[in-house]
Parts: sequence; C-alpha cells; structure tokens
Amino acid sequence: MPGRGRCPDCGSTELVEDSHYSQSQLVCSDCGCVVTEGVLTTTFSDEGNLREVTYSRSTGEDEQVSRSQQRGLRRVRDLCRVLQLPPTFEETAVAYYQQAYRHSGIRAARLQKKEVLVGCCVLITCRQHNWPLTMGAICTLLYADLDVFSSIYMQIVKLLGLDVPSLCLAELVKTYCSSFKLFQASPSVPAKYVEDKEKMLSRTLQLVELANETWLVTGRHPLPVITAATFLAWQSLQPADRLSCSLARFCKLANVDLPYPASSRLQELLAVLLRMAEQLAWLRVLRLDKRSVVKHIGDLLQHRHSLVRLAFRDGTAEVETRGKEPPAWGQGQREGEVGNNSLGLPQGKRPASPALLLPPCMLKPPKRICPAPPVSTVTGDENISDSEIEQYLRTPQEVRDFQRAQAARQAATSVPNPP
Amino acid sequence: MASAPRPERVLRLLAGCLPPYPPPPPTVGLLSMEQQETYLELYLDQCAAQDDLAPPRSPLCNPVVPYGMYILNASNPDTAFNSNPEVKETSGDFSSVDLSFLPDEVTQENKDQPVISSRHETEENSESQSPQSRLPSPSEQDIGLGLNSSSLSNSHSQLHPGDTDSVQPSPEKPNSDSLSLAPITPMTPMTPVSECCGIVPQLQNIVSTVNLACKLDLKKIALHAKNAEYNPKRFAAVIMRIREPRTTALIFSSGKMVCTGAKSEEQSRLAARKYARVVQKLGFPARFLDFKIQNMVGSCDVRFPIRLEGLVLTHQQFSSYEPELFPGLIYRMVKPRIVLLIFVSGKVVLTGAKERSEIYEAFENIYPILKGFKKA
Repeated sequence: MPGRGRCPDCGSTELVEDSHYSQSQLVCSDCGCVVTEGVLTTTFSDEGNLREVTYSRSTGEDEQVSRSQQRGLRRVRDLCRVLQLPPTFEETAVAYYQQAYRHSGIRAARLQKKEVLVGCCVLITCRQHNWPLTMGAICTLLYADLDVFSSIYMQIVKLLGLDVPSLCLAELVKTYCSSFKLFQASPSVPAKYVEDKEKMLSRTLQLVELANETWLVTGRHPLPVITAATFLAWQSLQPADRLSCSLARFCKLANVDLPYPASSRLQELLAVLLRMAEQLAWLRVLRLDKRSVVKHIGDLLQHRHSLVRLAFRDGTAEVETRGKEPPAWGQGQREGEVGNNSLGLPQGKRPASPALLLPPCMLKPPKRICPAPPVSTVTGDENISDSEIEQYLRTPQEVRDFQRAQAARQAATSVPNPP
Repeated sequence: MASAPRPERVLRLLAGCLPPYPPPPPTVGLLSMEQQETYLELYLDQCAAQDDLAPPRSPLCNPVVPYGMYILNASNPDTAFNSNPEVKETSGDFSSVDLSFLPDEVTQENKDQPVISSRHETEENSESQSPQSRLPSPSEQDIGLGLNSSSLSNSHSQLHPGDTDSVQPSPEKPNSDSLSLAPITPMTPMTPVSECCGIVPQLQNIVSTVNLACKLDLKKIALHAKNAEYNPKRFAAVIMRIREPRTTALIFSSGKMVCTGAKSEEQSRLAARKYARVVQKLGFPARFLDFKIQNMVGSCDVRFPIRLEGLVLTHQQFSSYEPELFPGLIYRMVKPRIVLLIFVSGKVVLTGAKERSEIYEAFENIYPILKGFKKA
C-alpha cells in the first residue's frame, strides 16, 4: 500500500498487509520480505515501519527507573490501596517519591530509610488533602520507629521544600470515632453500651473544640485528647449505665488502643467542665465532682461559648503583670477560691471568680525556681594557676594504683566462670 | 504596635525608603555627640511607628547603602543646610568613626547633620518649609533606650522636622556608647537594649572548638587525668570535665578539642585554655590555635501562652509544628540564621548562633510576631 514505507530489502513500495497464523504482517509483494511482524521486530529501522523498538534502543534507557525505585513506587501504590485512599492520592504520592528519588542523598540511603520514605510521601499527600492520617498509624503499618520516621519526614519536607498543612482535627475525630466498635451490640458490647454514631460524633467534636479553646490541644499529641473526648461523650449520653465503666475498659470494649496520655487529658477536660459548671446556677448548688459533672455535659456543651467566657478570664494579661514578681506566681491559681471565700458568702451562692485560661503547663507551679545566673566577670584571659590544674591530675602513686586495679579487673573478667 | 529592631530601621533609613518614612529633620545644627545619638534614637522610634512589617535586616548586609545615602542627600541639596543661627558647631570627634562605606560626597556634606527627632516638631520655623508629612508624636517605647531627656532641651530651637531627607550617617557614635562592634552597627550594642519589655535571652550553652596542634595519646591522658573518661569502644575521644567553669570537653587523638557547657564566650575560652593546660601538664606540646565559637544556645520566657497552630498558619514558610512529634514549634529564622523552638507556655529557645548579637536580634525579631498571637 502506498504511504506505508519501503521494503528494507528491495526498496519497493508495494507492501501488503497479510495475516499469518492470526499475526498481522506487512509483506513486500515484490521480494516477499516481511516488513513488520507484530511485536517480534528488533531493528531500529523498524520504527520507521511502525514496528516496535526494543527498550535498550529507545531513549527510555536514559530515564531508566532503578529496581529499588520501582520497588519503592510499588510500595507507595500498595500503601495507598491498603489505606483505601482515593485514586488521585496515589499519583501524587508516587510523584513525591520520584521527586525525592532525584536527590542523591535519598538514592544512596539505606533500604530502611527508603521504606520509611514511602510512608512519608503517603503522609504528605494525605495531609495536603486534609485526609486524617496520623504518623502513628503509618509507623504501625510500616513497622517503623517513630523517631526514624520523624527524622526522615523532617528531612524530606525540607529537601522538597513542601508546604505540609497541619493535621485536620475535625476529620481525625470523625475517622477515629468511627473506628470505635460501639455502634452495634456484640458479645463483648452489652446493649446499654451501644451508642448512636452520629450523636457520639457530634458530641465528641464539641468536646474537642472545647479542649482546643481551653489550651488542652496546643503542643500535645491530638489523639489522646480525642480518646478522652470520645469517652466523655459516650458516658454523658447515658450516664446512669456508663459511669461505672472506666477509660481503660471503654477502650478495650471498643477495640481501640488506649494511648497513655489519655487519662491525664481526661482529668484536664473534666476540670474545665467543672469550672464551666460553676457558672450555671442550677449546677452550682449540686456541688458537682468529676463523676457527677458527666451527667450534665450535654447542658454544658450547649452553652459552652458563654460559659467559657464567664468561667475563664484571659490568662495572658495576668501572667505578664504577675511575671514581674515571681514569688507570687504560685498563688495566682488559688485566687479563684480565695476570692470566693474571703467574701464570707456561702459557696454555691456566687459563681467562682474566673480562673486563668492558660495551658496546663503554665498553671502548674514551676518545678524549681531558676535563679538568674550571677553576672560573670570572666574575661577569658585570666591566669590559670598551676594548683588548679594539678587538682585534675593523678599523682604517680594514684596512677600505679589505678593501673593495678584495672589489671585486676581485666583478670577477673577474663575468667569466664569462677570456680 | 510592634517596634522594629533597630538595625533594620537604620537600614531602611539609609536605603532611602522615602515614602513610608518621615524624613529625618536635620539641621546644620551641630549638637554634641550624646545629643546626636539621642535624636537619632528618637527619630528612629518614630520610624518604627510606620514600620510594622518591615523585615529585619542588618545594615552590614545591604550593599545599597552608599547609593541610597547619596540619593537621599542629592535630592534635597537646597534644604541640606538650614539657616539657624542658634545652632552651635559640634566639636564632634570623628576619628573613631568609620565612614568608609559612604561615598565621598555624602561623607563630606553629611558629616555634620544629625538626625533630629520630631519630638521637637512643635518648634518654630521649618514647619512651613517642609513639604513632607508631620512626624507622628513618638511612642513611649523609648524608655528602654535610656534617653537622656535633659540633653534634648538644649536643642529645641535647632530642630526642624521634616526639612530634608538628608540622613544622618548612623556611624556617628556617641562617646558614651562604648561599642566594640564596627561603627556601622551602633544599633546592636553588646548590652542588649531590648525594646520588648526588657526580656533578655539568657545564654545557656556555648560550644567551641580549638586545635591543640599535636597528636595525643588518649590512653595516657585517661590514665593520668582524674577527670577523664575514655571508652574507645563507645566513642573515640576522651571526655574530660572541669569544675570551674563547669564544662565538658571532648579531646580527640588528632589534637582537636570541643568544649561545651559554658554560659558565656569568655567562660568557654577560659575553660578551653584550662583543658589545654591539663593536656600540656600531661607532657604533650599542646598549643591553643583557632579557638572558635561554633554554637550558642539561649533561652527566655515571653510570659504569655502562644497559639502555635495560628503561628504555623501565618508563618508557614519558616515554621514547622508537628505536635505528633514534638510539642514545640520550630521556627527557622532567615535573618539572622537562627532556629527558635517556641513552646505553648511562652518559653523560647534560640540556637544556632555564632555571635551573641544574633540571639538578641533573633529574639527582637520574634517577639512582635509572638505578641500577635497572645490573644487566642
């Protein structure tokens, strides 16, 4: 056929398409030379005749993807599938991995590092799409250490110059809460413990927002806060039956790991709720404690914005003014109670004076007072007396004693089993 | 209102950023050195009023300076010399001042023109002459600058705010200010004049290195020195400690030594010398070459809680905040090149400095940013 090229043997243009054993072939009608033969051609000139060219002859050779990179890219894809991420995430994560691989430091890194790099790329992709994937989850999947992960993550973010947004708390609450196995009765979960998912989610979200507002989230790992909030939300939805259940038992029922800081977050959250309860007249008379306040969490959350405003005063101005007199520091937090009692009115008739709204680390008294270091007048060029240096040197007798002791110790350790 | 750090203000001034700034009121008026410095400071504080978001820069690093100076001066040649008969000539001693960065013309003309503060803008004459806007009344932030208000009263009559743009070259150091730094940066004195509530970062650790320039037998050192520990399987250096100043040194067999734990540069140097003396007494021909401070760590407390999530949003290109990994926010400041660890309690750790002034400058840069996050 015209326009299909020339026969490489005789140069004729009479090429006919023919099928030989179901394989389509282009054959020269003059000399019978087979011009193309499906995928079995080997010469570069074949390319002109629409024949395939081997990889080694094409320009793809220069951009060859190394085996370890291919493995890494496969791992990225697998990880995205295991996490059931949307398909677009896979392409982005793969692109990040390829981008990272162009740096020589990454190409020469250990296999362990490359494995963790896979997790980093997936994590960055998820963060950029506000998909709530925690580092702990990735490390569990990759069987990696969080320290190793942390160093590689920081390195790769700096290397690629990426803008990684923070973990989206609301999304994390939804995902994490949904993982609690409390929404259906089962042999391990009695009926009174089963809860409606939507109600629990919304209440947990409100509690987490409250925690965020009252400085319980900044600087802390987000997950334990959510665990504590979920627990409180669950308890408060049916307090009569659930107050007897502890946090540890709750996590066990729900088939979720209990993070270690969750209990202290729980105490902090309860303290905040108690302070808020002090501002509601009908709760004040009840003299609530950490257990009884749970019954009223619904009411407290309903009015949380105004209650927080009433219950807490801005700690920042207080801290600054008081900062000038360090000795008075520790007394500040007791002002609330002192102010109340000094007025002579029965407690419960007046709202407690607002407590300071500060992160818990600022409310605790300092572990030790750090005195200002004395002003040193060292110039660096002083004379160094001989006696001062002598005090650091061993006398010849001490040297001999030391050597003898060392030899004795060597002898003792070299004898494997004393008789 | 945030007060900008002083070196940066001097820079902007010298670089001829005219529009946002009130032109410095000059006068042929030659005041004493103290007065000139005072007025310079006062003037610069008003510049700070319009200078909320200026990035910090050191005048040392701006090659534009001489050109800017020239431009400023050339633009208003007629107003360069104000006629004010009451003004007295200064006996200003310029011998200690290094004006080499200025072009010659500027140096000659501007030498005698101090920058005058608009605090005295109530004064007569020049107000009609000046086309530029009035300077705002200075804020009360000058308290920390240690101004001598009595010296201001003398020269009321000499002050003509907004007259010209000719800028006082800042190197006119007052005699009272004994700076060991180059005169080009009189605004970064060794004793930090912190305009932010008097919080001064305290140095916590200095790391320095020195070359003893001789091969050392670490086993012998560990044997003869009481305060040394040497475990070659764990680490290939002797770890030696002295009590005063309380420091630790790593001594390597090549003769190189690292000294850590000192609280000031001088203490670090003294400690390093003591270690070198110990090594000398042990019989090695130790010298003391190339002593260099490699790292300085400082810390301070701004005394208010900080919303780290907000800070990472607005300063994303510098900050890294991963609460899953570390409770603090890591802020990598570009100028000066310092890394700050900022915690929710308001404590700030500054590290990566080679000079003390870098720590002070970094804190002065970060303080206004942190103040912005005081209210949740």
